[in-house]
Amino acid sequence: MASVTLRNIVKDFNDNRVLDNVTLGIADREFLVLVGPSGCGKSTLLRILAGLEDATGGETFIDGTLVNHLPPRSREIAMVFQDYALYPHMTVAENMSFGLRLRRMPKPEIEARVREAAGILQIEKLLERTPKQLSGGQRQRVAIGRAIVRKPKVFLFDEPLSNLDAKLREEMRVEIAKLHQRLHSTIVYVTHDQVEAMTLASRIAVIQGGTLQQVGTPEQVFSRPENVFVAGFIGSPTMNFVAGTLSPEGTGLCFANDAMKVALPAGLLETPPAAPLPVILGVRPESLRPAGDGPAGRQGIPAEVDVVELLGHRKNVHLLAGGTKLLMVVDAAFSPRAGESLQVSFDAAALHFFDRTTTKRLR
Amino acid sequence: MDEAKTSSLEECRAILAAHHKRESLRAVLIHICLIACCVACIYPVLRILAVSLRPGDRIISTDLALIPAGATFVSYLRVFRETNFLIWLWNSLVITCVTSVIGVSLASTAGYAFSRFRFPGSKLGLTLLLGTQMIPAAMLLLPLFLMIMRLGLTNTYLGMIISYSVTSLPFSIWILKGYYDTIPRSLEEAALVDGTSRFGAFWRIVLPLSTPALSIAFLFNFTQAWNEYLVARVVLTDSFRYTWTLGLFELQGQYLTQWGMFAAASLMVTAPVLLVFLYSSKWLISGLTLGGVKG
Amino acid sequence: MIESLLQVVGFVALLAVLVVALELYLHAHFTQFDKRWFLPGMALGVPALALAGIFFSTEGRPDPGWTISLIGGLCVAEFLVALFFRYYVRGKHSLPIMMLAPGLLGLILLIVYPLIFEVYLAFHDLKLTTVMAWSGTGALPFVGFKQFCKVFVSSPLSGVTFFQLFLRTVWWTFINVVCHVVGGFALAILLNNQIRFKGIYRTFLVIPWAMPQVVAVLALRGEFHSQYGFINVMITRLLEWLPWLSRLGAEPVQWLSFHPLLTCTLINIWLGIPFMMVIILGGLQSISRHYYDAAAIDGASAFQQFRLITLPLLRPVLAPAITLGSIWTFNNINVIYLVTGQAGGTEDADILVSALYKAAFTYYRYSYSAAFAIVIFLILFTLSLLWVRYSKGTESAYG
Repeated sequence: MASVTLRNIVKDFNDNRVLDNVTLGIADREFLVLVGPSGCGKSTLLRILAGLEDATGGETFIDGTLVNHLPPRSREIAMVFQDYALYPHMTVAENMSFGLRLRRMPKPEIEARVREAAGILQIEKLLERTPKQLSGGQRQRVAIGRAIVRKPKVFLFDEPLSNLDAKLREEMRVEIAKLHQRLHSTIVYVTHDQVEAMTLASRIAVIQGGTLQQVGTPEQVFSRPENVFVAGFIGSPTMNFVAGTLSPEGTGLCFANDAMKVALPAGLLETPPAAPLPVILGVRPESLRPAGDGPAGRQGIPAEVDVVELLGHRKNVHLLAGGTKLLMVVDAAFSPRAGESLQVSFDAAALHFFDRTTTKRLR
Repeated sequence: MDEAKTSSLEECRAILAAHHKRESLRAVLIHICLIACCVACIYPVLRILAVSLRPGDRIISTDLALIPAGATFVSYLRVFRETNFLIWLWNSLVITCVTSVIGVSLASTAGYAFSRFRFPGSKLGLTLLLGTQMIPAAMLLLPLFLMIMRLGLTNTYLGMIISYSVTSLPFSIWILKGYYDTIPRSLEEAALVDGTSRFGAFWRIVLPLSTPALSIAFLFNFTQAWNEYLVARVVLTDSFRYTWTLGLFELQGQYLTQWGMFAAASLMVTAPVLLVFLYSSKWLISGLTLGGVKG
Repeated sequence: MIESLLQVVGFVALLAVLVVALELYLHAHFTQFDKRWFLPGMALGVPALALAGIFFSTEGRPDPGWTISLIGGLCVAEFLVALFFRYYVRGKHSLPIMMLAPGLLGLILLIVYPLIFEVYLAFHDLKLTTVMAWSGTGALPFVGFKQFCKVFVSSPLSGVTFFQLFLRTVWWTFINVVCHVVGGFALAILLNNQIRFKGIYRTFLVIPWAMPQVVAVLALRGEFHSQYGFINVMITRLLEWLPWLSRLGAEPVQWLSFHPLLTCTLINIWLGIPFMMVIILGGLQSISRHYYDAAAIDGASAFQQFRLITLPLLRPVLAPAITLGSIWTFNNINVIYLVTGQAGGTEDADILVSALYKAAFTYYRYSYSAAFAIVIFLILFTLSLLWVRYSKGTESAYG
């Protein structure tokens, strides 16, 4: 097990900057998830860490050693690929033992390790099959097995679940979480799926456009997103954003735009603006409620119901407040009709404010 | 429209029956055309068989029977007894095997370089490889022959191997490059992470996975060299060094007296080649259409 | 036989050693380029090794003047190579270049060098009378463009001018390719139907392509024999059966003596159709059924479907096949030489390349045929370029 440090990593493809000055420390035994939309550079970062790609600038350390010029085989890492990359001309057992055989490990030990890994992943019965004869989920297990027999310093996962169907994906997600509990190893995991990120990670690193947006625990990233991108990317359904102006009013604050005017307590921000400031207000759909539904003292925003979607245990209510679209998640028992007018209320503490010019969170 | 509306069930059946009749007539016509073409393709081979079976006194005849009267295998025996047929075959085999092995080994690594790497000149190189197809064989043959003559390699296996070894190389490189392109790169990356070097990933993963393409390339090299005539004509002058193509040409000659032996020898050479080709034709054809080139 | 086999084994071993040496040489240049000893070490070490190899492998002492100039040349050459690796290559692209090197070297030695040698020959005078002197001393008289002039003035063969040969070649190429494509197309369309025994038909239909060409051509040549060949036997029998045909002028044909080019063309068509069939069939099978369904619903007739769907969608397969097919037919000596090539054979069927072969290897006019080859190559190159330009130009019309 080992720590990983990426310092000032820069990567250019031709004249295109894919990664821009990324610095990231990963502690020993940490499960770090790199998450971001496709093309954000997260896979490139992982491949630089693996040694499959050379960084244009910056340093990579594994366990305190600079590994920039080491080929992948000397980095003591193991990697699980998106398409599993199982060698089609080898059986499952041969696939798993390939790395050990290359290191000329004694045969009995290879066998013991393969057995052990197969036991953990429940694939003992598949050992003599070829990858072609396996289902998607089984291939996934073999790919993970190939990584764990190596007992590497760091495990790298490159979108390992994206080729599975929804049900299997959930199953494997739990398996991977269990695996981390059991092996207690350092894992760097790349995904574009924020649900995977939230459920698996001990820390999440959100990347977009080649730069790190925020690094933190799932709770931090969800409840205190650092900027508009993180706020919108983490959480499903997506956070509502409303553009407006935040200005001091009396002892408190006031958020206003053409359609609404909301008075807010002063303690909401540590450094409230002294003058009117253009902001983006963010509020999660789960934080919105129909007014009259909760304790008094909440303010209502007048809105009109546009569309109602029933999802079984809850409903997504699409609202129009003036010109702004809002999404509200409510209990399935609540039954508004399309076209109906209602008042929407929220907890002031659940609001997020972002500077409209920098898109950074206001504190 | 009106007709269709008013037509009763019987009428519908009649229309359907007429349609079926037209369809089956069409099928019959197609079969007839195809059978005629197949006969045109296979008849010359059957004629060789017929000639090879003719008894010695009736080799030259206007007989068209496929199994001639008094059929014998005398011609076959005479080929072995009276000509250097076995020596010719042996010469061909040695030359062809060595050139094919050399050609495929050179192409296997070169194709990989073109498939996986971008280096200065890689695109130009691929185009130039195709461009070599435009060079007439006779054009290269002259300087090659003079070189071989000066090196004293006429009438040797080496001279033949040298002249053959790169003729199929450009095409083999294209076939193999095309096949390597279809192998996912992540397999090699997995191997790199597992502990191979860059070349090790090629050697242990890509090469074993490419056996179909390697056999296509080998077969291609093999048939090109096995069936070659013009270079051999120039480089080999000693009957003991002849390849079978030269020997066959000599047997056929101006006079028809040796026609029976020619036919027997032809058949013995053709049968294995045909069988291998037909057996592997599926892969061979897919390989040939892969790059969309060469026959 | 054993001796020559040992020779072959030795050759293969030598080849392996050479490849290893080449790779080690490149490896050193790719990995050691930034060492301080690199430039002097390489410039002295490599020539020393090479010389050791030369002295070891040749008997007798070469004369000292020659040796000194060789050492000097090698040192300078290796110094330049080392400079190149140190300041330009700097270890980049080492693996692809090392993997390419053996094949590249083979191509350079056996294709590029011969081509350069060919150009050298074309400007000098090597023929039957000077070849002995040349093999001894390597010296040849320089004659400038004289050989090129001769190509156009005095034809390689008696009886035809260069221009006639050229026209004959174009005609031969055109007829053959058209028949190959039309025949291949017809068979491919027949085979592309849902019929039984498709596999068997296809197997039989590729036989002309699968057969060794030498056997096929020689056997067919026999069938064109004026008396015993299948074709004339059939004509004779037909005449016996329907005597009135002879009054219309039908009679056995002297194929090989009077119509050699026609004979060659017929044989080559027989040989070439299967390849086109296979290529076109592959193309046809890759066209999705849905296009035809959609067209049928839109009311397109079978012919319209062929013209508006099949042809344009086959273009990417057909265009390169036709281009390459034309080049191969243009360069095809096999058929013509095997049919008419033996001593005393007719020259009425010769096209440019077979005339070239005869000029070089029947008449031993080496330098002349070198110039002739260059002219042929330039003609082919120009034609191909025009054709590629033309087919690109019509691409938009097909969409």
